Amino acid sequence: MADSEVLFTNVKIIDGSGAAPYNGEVLVRGKRISRVARSARSFAANGGSVIDGAGATLMPGMVEAHTHFAWNNASGLADIQKMPVEEHTLWTARVAKVYLDQGWTSCVGAATAKPRLDVVVRNAINSGLIPGPRYLAASQEITVPGGLGDETLPHLPFPEFSFAVNVSGPDDMRRACRMFLQYGVDSIKLNLSGDNLVPHANAKTTWMTDAEVKVAVEEATTRGKRVAVHARSADSVKQAVRLGCEVIYHASYTDNEALDLLEANKHKIFVAPGLSVIFKLLQEGTPYGITPAKAREMGYEDELAAAVESMKAMHKRGIRVLPGGDYGFAWAPHGTNATDLQYFVRHCGMTPMDALVSATRYGGQIMLMGNELGEVKEGYLADLLLVDGDPLADLSILLDKTRLLAIMKDGVFHKEPELSNNFAGSRRSLRPPYVPAASASAMN
Amino acid sequence: MANTLFTNVRVFDGSGDQPFAGEVLVQGNRIARVTRTSSSVRSLPASSASGATVIDGAGATLMPGMVEAHTHFSWNDQPSLDSIQRMPTEEHILWCAHVAERYLSMGWTSCVGAATAKPRLDVVIRNAINAGEIPGPRYIAASQEITVQGGLGDNTLPHLPQPEFNFGAVVSGPEEVRRCVRQFVKYGVDQIKINLSGEYIAGLPAEYTPFSEEEIAMCVTEAKRFGKRVAAHARSSESVKQCIRHGIEVIYHASFADEEALDMLEANKHKHFVAPGLAWLINTSHHASEWGLTPEVTKKMGYHRELEVAVETLKKMLKRGIRILPGGDYGFAWTPHGTNAKDLEYFTKYLGMSSMEAMLSATAWGAPIMKLDGDAGAEQIGKVRDGALADLLLIDGDPLADIRILQDKQRILAVMKNGEFYRAPAPRDMRSSASTRWQAVAA
Repeated sequence: MADSEVLFTNVKIIDGSGAAPYNGEVLVRGKRISRVARSARSFAANGGSVIDGAGATLMPGMVEAHTHFAWNNASGLADIQKMPVEEHTLWTARVAKVYLDQGWTSCVGAATAKPRLDVVVRNAINSGLIPGPRYLAASQEITVPGGLGDETLPHLPFPEFSFAVNVSGPDDMRRACRMFLQYGVDSIKLNLSGDNLVPHANAKTTWMTDAEVKVAVEEATTRGKRVAVHARSADSVKQAVRLGCEVIYHASYTDNEALDLLEANKHKIFVAPGLSVIFKLLQEGTPYGITPAKAREMGYEDELAAAVESMKAMHKRGIRVLPGGDYGFAWAPHGTNATDLQYFVRHCGMTPMDALVSATRYGGQIMLMGNELGEVKEGYLADLLLVDGDPLADLSILLDKTRLLAIMKDGVFHKEPELSNNFAGSRRSLRPPYVPAASASAMN
Repeated sequence: MANTLFTNVRVFDGSGDQPFAGEVLVQGNRIARVTRTSSSVRSLPASSASGATVIDGAGATLMPGMVEAHTHFSWNDQPSLDSIQRMPTEEHILWCAHVAERYLSMGWTSCVGAATAKPRLDVVIRNAINAGEIPGPRYIAASQEITVQGGLGDNTLPHLPQPEFNFGAVVSGPEEVRRCVRQFVKYGVDQIKINLSGEYIAGLPAEYTPFSEEEIAMCVTEAKRFGKRVAAHARSSESVKQCIRHGIEVIYHASFADEEALDMLEANKHKHFVAPGLAWLINTSHHASEWGLTPEVTKKMGYHRELEVAVETLKKMLKRGIRILPGGDYGFAWTPHGTNAKDLEYFTKYLGMSSMEAMLSATAWGAPIMKLDGDAGAEQIGKVRDGALADLLLIDGDPLADIRILQDKQRILAVMKNGEFYRAPAPRDMRSSASTRWQAVAA
């Protein structure tokens, strides 16, 4: 079968590299971008479809660096674990589609809540059973007794109560890592620091021994997998970099030593701060029982001040800071993840273009596909968004599903641009009005 | 919810009458009005249809959505019972969701779950369908098959005694039956399944009848206490009699029912449903060579004899007016999910049903078996009539002339469940013709 072709013409291209946008056209053949031109009408599609973008923006599909498909939009951690495995699998599958619907064509799983949810959903996406983004499947969070993720109670010591797996000592750690690697995860997640959501183990605390972390890194890297860490405290950030953990989540508290270490390893390390929890709980937590006063008491004001400074410093030093993190709570439901880009611009010293690069070019890199994903470039995989408007002028349009006119993954439309004219044959125009024909929507 | 007007359709209304030219207006989730039109005059949309999407059927058949009386969403299109249980829970629930959609897409707008392979699969899928989280038919969620040690559904081995190896729930004695039924009731099943007879492929003769009367009585008593129905795997004559004696309404297979059993069934024919699952017998006997089950092997197992006996038994049931429904044990490699309309073809070929009778078997008994009878005996599904729920299929052609077209997805132009299109009719190619066939226009 000959590869099908799709030609996007009359589009404004933000190619994800950081270069200035330009008008042009993009030809997709099969699953890859085969041609990119800086002018219109450069090449003809051979019998494929032609999408006349009417000046809409064509950009790479976005990459979320820290997703928890299994988090269930509840307002607490215990609710995640109260969902039985059957419902949880169906939920996780639905969330995968939510991400793709919102333009996240790739996601890095940061941790799952039951041992196999991430792996099973990744496999189902890859086999075409369910729609979803490219996905790197995570393990559960591995923690130590009393740390973030240990939800057991003295009289209910059952491991099923916890979304994390408790280990104590290197041998335990090795056993847990091997189980997840057997299940087929792409990364092992370690909770090196605490978190202000759990007062007994706040964000400034650090929990694991070097010996435990080393074993996890050894087991993961032996099989070509990565270690990702929950690391809010400065000590945990340093521990992560020292011991070879490549994906660092949060990194709210950093000192010069931590920043120097990060900078020295910046071609290896990715940071995804996951600022949404902090902002939302400080500003909008009241409906969930977390008043601003309570949020301050939990330490979020202190953490926000530190995190903003840390991110600014990292961005200045050229350390890759990526969007994503801890969506999937009542205060930041799945799908609203593009809010992170606005946080980056408002608070972390990024330009809108920097923010888009963090979601695209850096995204391809964190997916370990930097030479073929994350940019609009000849030969790259055709993960593309057609956006109604200019995200550089207003990043919030990326939150609006109706502004995402088309979503393509691997050269296949997940969302096709709607026809402006039902009788136009194979040529599709997006010139306004986008959907004038009542018949088109009624039939599809 | 958008309203829909089907014009220019031949209406097969599920009453047993011949199809007529007409129009059907759907408002919300119900059929608001069925109108007979002269076939020679193309009607115009009535004023009360304003705002409705008009589907010009151009002579296609509009019929009630079909009802499958014996579905196992969790059987996984593999060649053995063992491979069902080797699928982990996470994969299994995604598989069930996928299968549910497959049934709907093939025109089965209602399904009766006959048994599930792990405790909660059916219940979770039913809930997800009802919540609108996944597409699927109306669904009666089943328990696992309750069985005895060594019975159909006990897959443990002497050195591997863990119950997770079983697709059934193994019990011994009335108190274990009680606990087992209550556990499934707690999970929220609509129907309890009990394996009253054997099954050759599991190494058990079909005519083996292992349950004690006390156990069956306990099963039915506990199920009914909570308003649940019981269904039975009952191939042997004795097991069919047990069903009638204990009030087990849904009888699967009934291959070996003798004259006494048939008399008992006939005397209670308004209470019981029989879904024989002929496809299993036919295809296991003759079309499973690819998976090592050659006709020689399956003849030795006993399937050929059972098929012969079952066909004669079912013919007698038909004569006696006992309700026979399609469905049964699709979900094996040689009977994949979605090919279930073959049962209607088998009914005509093997049992001598007319195509009208076969179509009625998939529609007319749908309301009672789905517990959607309605207050005054007014069926909520299975009929195209004013006030019924809008579960409708638009079929390219006349299934009465060729029942096999119901097996062809291309011919199932549209599937509507509860007034909403799961699959809307595709617009006709606009470039080649200005005709409005299948075209929806705003009225």
